Amino acid sequence: MLSPVIKAELIKIVTKDRYLDRPEELACYSYDSFLEESLPDAAIFPLTSREVSDILKIASNNQVPVTARGAGTSVCGAPIPIRHGIVLCFSKMNRIIEANTRDRYAIVEPGVINGDLQKALAPFGFFYPPDPGSINISTIGGNVALNAGGPRCLKYGVTVDYVLGMQVVLASGKIVRFGSRNIKDVTGYKLSALFCGSEGTLGLVTEIILRVVPLPEATRTVMVTFNDLDNTAEAVADIIGSGILPVAMELMDRMTINAIEDAGRLGLARDAEGSLLIEVDGVREACEREMVRIIEKVKQHGAVTVQEAQTPADRDKLWAARRQAYGVFAKIAPDIVSEDVTVPVSKVPEMIRRIREICNRNAIKVGVLAHAGDGNMHPLIPADRNNREEWARVIKACGEIFEAAAALHGTLSGEHGIGLAKAAYLPLVMDEDSREFLTVIKRAVDPDNILNPGKFA
Amino acid sequence: MSDTTVSKCGKCGLCLAVCPVHRLLMEEQASPRARIQLIENYKRKKLPSSPYLKELINKCLMCGSCAANCPSGVDHYSQFMEMRQQMAKEHGDRLEIKSLVYLLAKEQRLRLAVGMAKLGRSIVPEVFQKKYRLGNIPIQNFPQLNKKPFRSTIPEEIPAKGKERGIVLYFTGCATNYIYDETGHATLELLTTMGYRVRIPRQQTCCSIPMLYHGGIEEARKNIEQNLQCFDEDDVAAIIVDCPTCGSALKKEFPSMMKKWDKDSGPAEAIGAKVTDLMSFVYDRRDSLRIDEQKAAATGPVTYHAPCHLKNCFVPADRLLRDLPFVDFIEAEDALDCCGGGGTFFYEYPEISTQMASKKIAGAKKTGANLWLTDCPVCRINLSGRLTAEDNIDMLHPARYLALILKQ
Repeated sequence: MLSPVIKAELIKIVTKDRYLDRPEELACYSYDSFLEESLPDAAIFPLTSREVSDILKIASNNQVPVTARGAGTSVCGAPIPIRHGIVLCFSKMNRIIEANTRDRYAIVEPGVINGDLQKALAPFGFFYPPDPGSINISTIGGNVALNAGGPRCLKYGVTVDYVLGMQVVLASGKIVRFGSRNIKDVTGYKLSALFCGSEGTLGLVTEIILRVVPLPEATRTVMVTFNDLDNTAEAVADIIGSGILPVAMELMDRMTINAIEDAGRLGLARDAEGSLLIEVDGVREACEREMVRIIEKVKQHGAVTVQEAQTPADRDKLWAARRQAYGVFAKIAPDIVSEDVTVPVSKVPEMIRRIREICNRNAIKVGVLAHAGDGNMHPLIPADRNNREEWARVIKACGEIFEAAAALHGTLSGEHGIGLAKAAYLPLVMDEDSREFLTVIKRAVDPDNILNPGKFA
Repeated sequence: MSDTTVSKCGKCGLCLAVCPVHRLLMEEQASPRARIQLIENYKRKKLPSSPYLKELINKCLMCGSCAANCPSGVDHYSQFMEMRQQMAKEHGDRLEIKSLVYLLAKEQRLRLAVGMAKLGRSIVPEVFQKKYRLGNIPIQNFPQLNKKPFRSTIPEEIPAKGKERGIVLYFTGCATNYIYDETGHATLELLTTMGYRVRIPRQQTCCSIPMLYHGGIEEARKNIEQNLQCFDEDDVAAIIVDCPTCGSALKKEFPSMMKKWDKDSGPAEAIGAKVTDLMSFVYDRRDSLRIDEQKAAATGPVTYHAPCHLKNCFVPADRLLRDLPFVDFIEAEDALDCCGGGGTFFYEYPEISTQMASKKIAGAKKTGANLWLTDCPVCRINLSGRLTAEDNIDMLHPARYLALILKQ
């Protein structure tokens, strides 16, 4: 509980309607999609940058931790208030301030839901490319804090590639602005990029200027299967290496395919060792040409079946299989660990071999799923956290997967973030001096460590 | 309270996107994910029982969209229902809600109450009727009750028109029986025209959903068993419901409750398999309907509101409207969104319900249609009660609309 004096000051800022601290309420702000939970002392809903600033001044003066939250769909524990204090929930600060397709930018408040921004842009023939799995509920603020990605980021890039500028409230309560509405803007450090993936540890983003792009004229989608998972992965590396850049290249292994078939009979080839869902978009003629080359390539790598979508309904059906993968695994066991290691695309075949070897050796189930075109692996491990012995094997295997990725010049996370989940593994990919630099920056902007303390920085 | 339901909620949050209450309030505690967490906390004794806990659990439309869209297959609907029963036991319910459960539990009580209500309405001066509101809906905007219960005005069995294609059983639901008998007559007209003999079992009674939502578990059990008994027939083509909520009860809740009570769920499952909503039944046989071009033109354009229980348990009727010749169907952009009715929700949480209904009304008005069709009687009461004369929109069950434009 916060002291009555602090509570009264905070309520003065947001009124008591937007200040929650009953135990039933606090229980609802103790979690995200990660396994851990920790109760805040209060959950507060700001509506303006000024309110955020006033709240941070009080928090600073009283050394109260402040953890930002959007929709709470992070999978790494980033918005969990591990040191308690205030959860600052941005879901009601959700205006689209401007959608300017002539100048190709949109200005939004942090609580705007990614999918709502898409809906606002579509009538103008524009879209905002990052498409995390939580697109229909996660907020732009959260997407920025976690530098969110998604399947189509292979071609289009991730959140940081679309952030032109932002307004940030610092721990002191100062309101600062970085960047501008211009795609070209070289005025000092590119500080808006620093906040992408900062998980609310450096400042609270209260307004974001995003680059938006025109919707492509055409889309072509194909599903191919292989008798060999190595060949599947080799085909990915070969297509990317040949200069074709699809929107998405989604890989699924045999276990994933069969789990999906068990759940819903989508007509996938059960005996295939690997499958790829490949999509290209752009100018119609270019799509056709690229698709011809892609099909040539996959056949060279021994593709057994090649199924092209003829209609939008076909396309939806092909994607439905991929979209169901997470849910299907979530039903296999009470808990599911969805890892996120990422390696250079030429190392995808090797990484997949290692993931399977590690999981076999530790006697745990794994379905290999990947945004393979950008080397972003999503091994899905269904398990039961209450089975301590099994859970210890899961944790051990995850550690080994991180080590394997690091050894292949990969990284811990492609799009899920560090949060509570992977902080302990940072030394695998950052040496001491590099980690110290993170600390130097953190201390410089948040000397009292009130912003999302207990996380990686 | 049983602890056999292992929550497999992975807290992914996808349910937040489809929960009408959460989308409006944008607060985690008003989300399905939070309700599951609260139930878990309560079961593990991490949170004590409290009236506020009850309120958070009950601030839910029971629309079922969370369960229908959950990747992990969490049965929110059953868990919420069980928790609501537990909370009603521990903290009681409002007198009005308790009375509702009491009335719906016994057909004769309901008949009596309806009679009294009609009497009451005829003696209460109009000036008071204008002043009083139920939820945020003016009393005078509530529908008139049927002069006589629908089922008492028709024979138990009605022959098909022309060549008989089969027999169907018809579960009328309380709304058709006591409020919207026009829906009942239209249903009979459609079914017999399509060549079906319609049997309306006399012993049928309230589907029990209101009791299950509000802790009347014993009353629910009696109703469910009575209904199972009189709908357990082999050689019928289908069991027809005109109300999506009754339909979802017969289809899903009856078998699931029988299992919960450790009883043989076989008959309930067999019945559930035959249950279909009226408009889906019509859709599958739409070729046998002949629409009168002039009548359809005379009624003008129509729009549609898809009830949540239809969307989540059956298939909304817009596909039929789109497919039939001569029907000038204009789809509202938000046709699939919830109206905020939700059983007694519109009465318990009028502010939330009003905001949702107002959006729906704006969406319907944008289409320019003067007829607004919806299958669910609660959606209809909730929406039509807020329409004004200037809106110039009438609400009907799609069956009633079809009966109006059929070729004689």
